[in-house]
Amino acid sequence: MMDDAMYASQLFLYAVIPLMNEIGEQYGYFRGKSGVVQLSVNLPDGVEGLHFVLEDGAVTTVLGLHERPDVSLHFARQQHFNDFFLGKTKKMPKIQGFGKPGLLIATFRTLLKMASLLAAKTPPADEATKELVVRLYLYLLSRGISRLNRLGHPSVREWATKSPDRVYAWRVEGHPDTAAYLRVKAGKSKAARGLYTRSQPFFTMRFADLDSALSILLQTGDFLTLTAEKRLILEGAPEFGAKIGDFMQLVGSYIQG
Amino acid sequence: MGIAYTSLDTTKLSTAEVYAHTLCEIAQTDPRIVTLTADLAKSTKIGVFQEHFPDRFVNLGIAEQNMFGIAAGMAACGLIPFTCTFAIFNSCRALDQVHTDICYQNLNVKMIASHAGTSFGQAGSTHHATEDIAIMRTMANLVVLVPADGQEAAAAVRAAIEHQGPVYIRINRGFDQVVYPQGNEDFQIGKANLLKDGSDLCFIACGSAVFSALQAARELEAEGIKARVLDMHSIKPLDKEAIKRAVHDTRRIITAEDHTVVGGLGGAVAEVIAESGMGCAFRRLGIQDTFSPIGYHEDLMSIHGIDTNGLITAAREALKMDFEEDDDWADEV
Amino acid sequence: MQLSREKLITLENKAHELRRSIVDTVYHAGSGHLGGALSMIDAVTLLYYHRMNIDRANPDWPERDRFIMSKGHAGIGFVSVLADLGYLNREDLKTFNLTGSKLGIHLDATKVPGVDASTGSLGHGLSIALGMAIAAQMMGKEYITYCLLGDGECNEGAVWEAAMAIGSRRQSNLITMVDRNHAMLDGNTEDVMKLEPFQDKWTAFGFHTVTVNGHDFAAIDRAIGEALARRDQPSCIILDTVKGAGVDFAAGDYRWHYGAINEELSAKAYDSLERYHQERVAALEGA
Repeated sequence: MMDDAMYASQLFLYAVIPLMNEIGEQYGYFRGKSGVVQLSVNLPDGVEGLHFVLEDGAVTTVLGLHERPDVSLHFARQQHFNDFFLGKTKKMPKIQGFGKPGLLIATFRTLLKMASLLAAKTPPADEATKELVVRLYLYLLSRGISRLNRLGHPSVREWATKSPDRVYAWRVEGHPDTAAYLRVKAGKSKAARGLYTRSQPFFTMRFADLDSALSILLQTGDFLTLTAEKRLILEGAPEFGAKIGDFMQLVGSYIQG
Repeated sequence: MGIAYTSLDTTKLSTAEVYAHTLCEIAQTDPRIVTLTADLAKSTKIGVFQEHFPDRFVNLGIAEQNMFGIAAGMAACGLIPFTCTFAIFNSCRALDQVHTDICYQNLNVKMIASHAGTSFGQAGSTHHATEDIAIMRTMANLVVLVPADGQEAAAAVRAAIEHQGPVYIRINRGFDQVVYPQGNEDFQIGKANLLKDGSDLCFIACGSAVFSALQAARELEAEGIKARVLDMHSIKPLDKEAIKRAVHDTRRIITAEDHTVVGGLGGAVAEVIAESGMGCAFRRLGIQDTFSPIGYHEDLMSIHGIDTNGLITAAREALKMDFEEDDDWADEV
Repeated sequence: MQLSREKLITLENKAHELRRSIVDTVYHAGSGHLGGALSMIDAVTLLYYHRMNIDRANPDWPERDRFIMSKGHAGIGFVSVLADLGYLNREDLKTFNLTGSKLGIHLDATKVPGVDASTGSLGHGLSIALGMAIAAQMMGKEYITYCLLGDGECNEGAVWEAAMAIGSRRQSNLITMVDRNHAMLDGNTEDVMKLEPFQDKWTAFGFHTVTVNGHDFAAIDRAIGEALARRDQPSCIILDTVKGAGVDFAAGDYRWHYGAINEELSAKAYDSLERYHQERVAALEGA
């Protein structure tokens, strides 16, 4: 059984930090840059981390540690790592990479931007940013639930184990790219971006528009009210919707503290 | 982001309300339409009718046999009564009344039998109706309809009113996957709906299995298999011609129903195939002559092999083809 | 309004004709539910020849009063009424139970004019009658629905579902009558399945219940009159009767629930009926 701190760390690593890829792309922070950027942390069972391989602006996310990253942010203590991503501290981790200042700065900018986007309590003003925030959250939540399954979180693992081959999807009407899905089968899970097109997903949480999505994701709106107003439509049985909703909340509780 | 549903909330989200609203619509101009329930107005959604026409609605309390007798008496006097109760009670508990008072006297009673199959999964076998199609199709004079979703149920209601004589309409608890988003204009008693054409095999399905069949056909298409999908909503009278055409065109028939494989849709189709003298591969999907465990409807359909994946597996077996498992289970980052 | 002596005698004369016809029909059929037909015939005579609003020319007249003979096995008695009203040919009675006949032990409403429901499976009639009464209410019609049950029939739970609903709805345009002849197929009712306190049971279900002599036209008529006037509560009239009344070898004997009548018994029955009729007329004239 893992403790809450460990679940939080794992979610930051594998559900939150990968979002830097999308953010970097949206804002062009990594444009023209090449090199390897790594984030890592000391966990009780050893060092874990992931790295971004940049090739002239094109970013590939790779789980695991790189031999010689150009930029490295390493958290020596798990508590520091968690607090940092919870927004409780601005104290920096051990940084390597001053030799590549452009890349380093791009990394910081991305991190800062991510913090401001995800920590926002009110929706952003412009359409493009709204779209990005919703997409980030959908990727975060889908990867988060999948990660909790891999970690053997009791309630998630139990659900996944009993599940036949099913796909749970999130989408926003009018924004085909603002979507994510989770495939589950007999204990295995896979989070993926975009729409699942092979067949109709077993369950879909469909938002009428970006504002409706943000309302739920930023927790400014009431689930039942949005459903009654048809701004949130559940396609599929409500029992399964409730389950997914619980898991979304579970992920949220770990990464928000 | 906490989500808590009360049973009241779920009634607002139900697709079964479609049929109830259709009934209200028709009742506005047809004074013969009246409705009855046995303390299940909320669950069967007929409460919608009660709100609009309280004087044309009767609640008999928990007394199903009485309800069907009363419906017979009303029909004998020229009204068109719609009874609404769970399919298990319609087909088992009150069967003597259905048989003797309604079918034998060929009275114009329309029976809405809800929570059919294992759709009321959590309630267990006391509330599952997994024999009712078999039972009802043996009743002479009775038309037996099993619509696939809320819209088709509404079409069935319209057809039932136009038909002179008793009708049994079997629906689920209301959270159906949508098969006819725009409704079903072509609904005809005795005619199956061709939802997808194909020549490799034919799914003949009814009720909640229709969606499974449609989804299975779509996935199989990606693998190059062209499956025909027939929505056999009219169990009695059965569309024998559609079945015979499917046998001739595809040579592989798979029936699927949220019902025992004994005597229901599968049995009815088997009768037609056997009498036709034509050979084909034939498989009945459904509940394999057992009582169902407790669970959510979707999970039970999976356990009984009548969900999308169950039909895909059956189709592959029918075609004797192997496919690679999807081995990539890493999260996309 | 009290029945006049003339009217009472007219009714008794009609009843006598019908009793003879019942014996005759059973004879031609070979066997039949003689006991229960004879016990109910007086009440049915009163209904059809005094109380019920029907159209002799049109058995399907929509405004007619309805009669549900929930004790469907008494069909062999009811057909005599239908023949007398002209809904059937007298000759049809001789075909009772024969192959291809439209008349059999339990009358088919889709084949026999004047039959409002195909009863036979006991316990169904009261629900059907209630349906007709509710229909009258919904359509704003004035017709009254009468339902006649057997007493053994009241073992059936379905009867009490209907009773509960009638009481709950105060369905006063429906009049329930029970042919309490105290006997059923396997024995006397109280030996097979106790019904007493029978009147109390109906009262407990919300009925205004009375027990009257089921062979006394005046008493039955009074009870019906009061029932029709009572609009705030449904009524149940328990007709205390003798199974096989009028035929001395059958009267009061549960074994004549269903029996065979040959030439010899037929002659004996007619004799008995004649004496019975004379006694009753004398009583009416003397009263």
